[in-house]
Amino acid sequence: MDMKRTVKKANNDAARRLYAPYAEAEWGFLNHWYPARFAGEVPEGSAVGVQICGVPIVLRRSKGKVYALKDQCLHRGVKLSAKPMCLTEDTITCWYHGFTFSIETGELVSIVAAPDDEIIGTTGIPTYPVEEVNGIVFVFVKSDDWEDEIPPLAQDLPIRFPDNNERFPHPFWPDTPSMLDKDAVALGVHRTGYANWRLACENGFDAGHLLIHKDCTIVQAKDWAVPLGIKPLTDQATQLIEDEDGPKGFINMYFTENYEPVLVNERLNVKASGTVPKYFRTSMFLPGVLMVENWPEENVVQYEWYVPITDDTYEYWEVLVKRCPTEEDVKGFEYRFKNFYEPMALHGFNDCDLFARDAMQNFYADGAGWADEQLGDMDYSIITWRKVASRYNRGIAKKPRGVSGVVKGASNVLAEIRGPGCGHYRDKKGE
Amino acid sequence: MTILEELPVEATQTCSATVRFSDGVERVFPVRTGQTILAAAKENDVRLVHQCLTGSCGTCVTRVESGEVRMNTARGTSLLPSEAAEGFRLTCTSFCDSDAVMHFDYPSSLLDEPGPERCTAVVGEASWVASNVVRLSLRLPDEAGLEFRSGQYVRVRVPGTEEWRSYSMASTMGDLPELVLLLRVLDAGVMSDYLRSRVKVGDEMELEGPFGLFYLRDSKAQQIMIAGGTGLAPMLGMLEDIRLKSGRKPKVLLSFGCATEDNLFYQDELETRAAWLPGLKVKVAVANPGPGYSGLVGNPVEVIGAADLVDPPSAVAYLCGPPPMIESARRHLEALGLHPDNIHAEHFSASAA
Repeated sequence: MDMKRTVKKANNDAARRLYAPYAEAEWGFLNHWYPARFAGEVPEGSAVGVQICGVPIVLRRSKGKVYALKDQCLHRGVKLSAKPMCLTEDTITCWYHGFTFSIETGELVSIVAAPDDEIIGTTGIPTYPVEEVNGIVFVFVKSDDWEDEIPPLAQDLPIRFPDNNERFPHPFWPDTPSMLDKDAVALGVHRTGYANWRLACENGFDAGHLLIHKDCTIVQAKDWAVPLGIKPLTDQATQLIEDEDGPKGFINMYFTENYEPVLVNERLNVKASGTVPKYFRTSMFLPGVLMVENWPEENVVQYEWYVPITDDTYEYWEVLVKRCPTEEDVKGFEYRFKNFYEPMALHGFNDCDLFARDAMQNFYADGAGWADEQLGDMDYSIITWRKVASRYNRGIAKKPRGVSGVVKGASNVLAEIRGPGCGHYRDKKGE
Repeated sequence: MTILEELPVEATQTCSATVRFSDGVERVFPVRTGQTILAAAKENDVRLVHQCLTGSCGTCVTRVESGEVRMNTARGTSLLPSEAAEGFRLTCTSFCDSDAVMHFDYPSSLLDEPGPERCTAVVGEASWVASNVVRLSLRLPDEAGLEFRSGQYVRVRVPGTEEWRSYSMASTMGDLPELVLLLRVLDAGVMSDYLRSRVKVGDEMELEGPFGLFYLRDSKAQQIMIAGGTGLAPMLGMLEDIRLKSGRKPKVLLSFGCATEDNLFYQDELETRAAWLPGLKVKVAVANPGPGYSGLVGNPVEVIGAADLVDPPSAVAYLCGPPPMIESARRHLEALGLHPDNIHAEHFSASAA
């Protein structure tokens, strides 16, 4: 068969090298702020384990304040959170041999059964800066060699409005709210996706992926005019955001002269349906936070994080933010979140995205995809993101050692999934 | 009261400990009463392998050849009674009751910085990147223990000869087992002849290293790199170090110069590096350009002006190139306000042909 090969692979070696640091970042970028848990998931006195960029972290709330420490005892390496033990308000104790650490400094301050041990006071575990904002616990996931001051959380969150109205005008919707605004209320969900975090990032702002949403319930129910795709026309379609002390990322200038919606494909006899205009705009920032403006409805913004857990799992965060100056506004937002946004948007609409990212994983899992993918015109913003991330990340997480998910298929079932209760180890007695 | 008065007297008594390593090296140091042997060794810069400091792990074990060495009986340790009877002691929890000689079953160099290693590398690729520059990609054997800092150099033996030549690494530790060198090819010279006429993939090449004190200094101040020709090699590794280091990255000025346009190389690579590092500014200069040339003219030293420097007194400079370039760069940078101690140089040796 004589197959005509006219398509030149755009992603040749030289082009790929421009974003080589991004390609190295299988385990994510260190030294950035990431959402770790919703505040309500870390109640007073608790110790909750998370893993971010391969770093196991235990969150401990004491006297209202959340502290973050490395969730790995320095003695034999078990997770402190596997079976939380907090004997005093200022410490966390390893449930195994009683090594006890200051939650403020991480220092080994005592050992339950060996209070005179000479290593007490000579060693400890790393701690991580924490910020709790609008019901979300953010952790600065620091590498051990980080010596600088900690950059503010705002540098790792999307740009704000009205500050950026002139720079990035938005004639079709009111000023987008921000997580950091006065009266802002953030409501959302998070769950685990089974793909590399970068595939998840790239799905969020991918101008060509609207096809997967064509049949979504919310689109049909609201008769939204969602195009089949959005085609970049000019070099201004994607604009970089790289202010010295601000967030680093880019914005897709949808619904401007820089983009053209694709409404019909004659060859395939497919048309975009819907009659109600649906204006929105996507932008993406380090370390991997997406902003969808004017979404799912006016005066609401959707943030998404794709927080690396391992190199093949990520925590998918969807958070909606709205300014709610009165108690009544808060109640109204919560009601609409529960009965509309959560089921129809965060699940109904975005479940299609989760599926698409998981479906990409096999192609990229062993590295083949990064070399073999055939990117096209629609992927302009994906390459932009890869370059921006290569340039402005604050550190590439190396493949860790001794933590969950490094050795694939390792037997962590009993310790991590079943939990510490002794009852789990009883024989099955039959129904 | 009595006990308290007696203690200081006892504490001033010392015994002499002699430690013998498996390589025959012997060190002698004083051990005060009540002081553990390990603590005394540390105080006297004698490095002994240890870990838990509590007698539990057994890492710091020694065998007493002569003298009275007493284990701390106030605590349990992992030393078996049978081991103790054979003269083994744990240095972290034992004291000298008399002068003593102890044997350690490892060489004294175990905790030293790694020294130069020798191995036989294989040529993976040799490509001409400029009219007078070959990029040589070597593959090191799996068992090679080469550990180097970006900026250092290795010596390689020119295949088929007894001649050795020195070249800075253009690659980093992260690239191992690949090691990349940039070789300047001259009209005459054993390495140049080899590169021009005989080199082929699969050639074996003896290699020794690392050497040199030319490496990135820990500084947040502006880093100024001046490279003449293949003097670019060590800068490439150091730029990677800067990129991979956590924290706020220093501003970097890289000035790279060649004699003629066809001597230039790695233009795309430098553009890529500048894309990765927001703080990197690259200047490329040609001393004797042809008619169509539109870039900077001159040597890599003179194209640096006061406007390129952020804060000269704190800036750190790295120079690599032929000796006259190093000399003029030193003078130029000192005149611009750099401190002489902050100027580090690696020059091409006469035999680096």
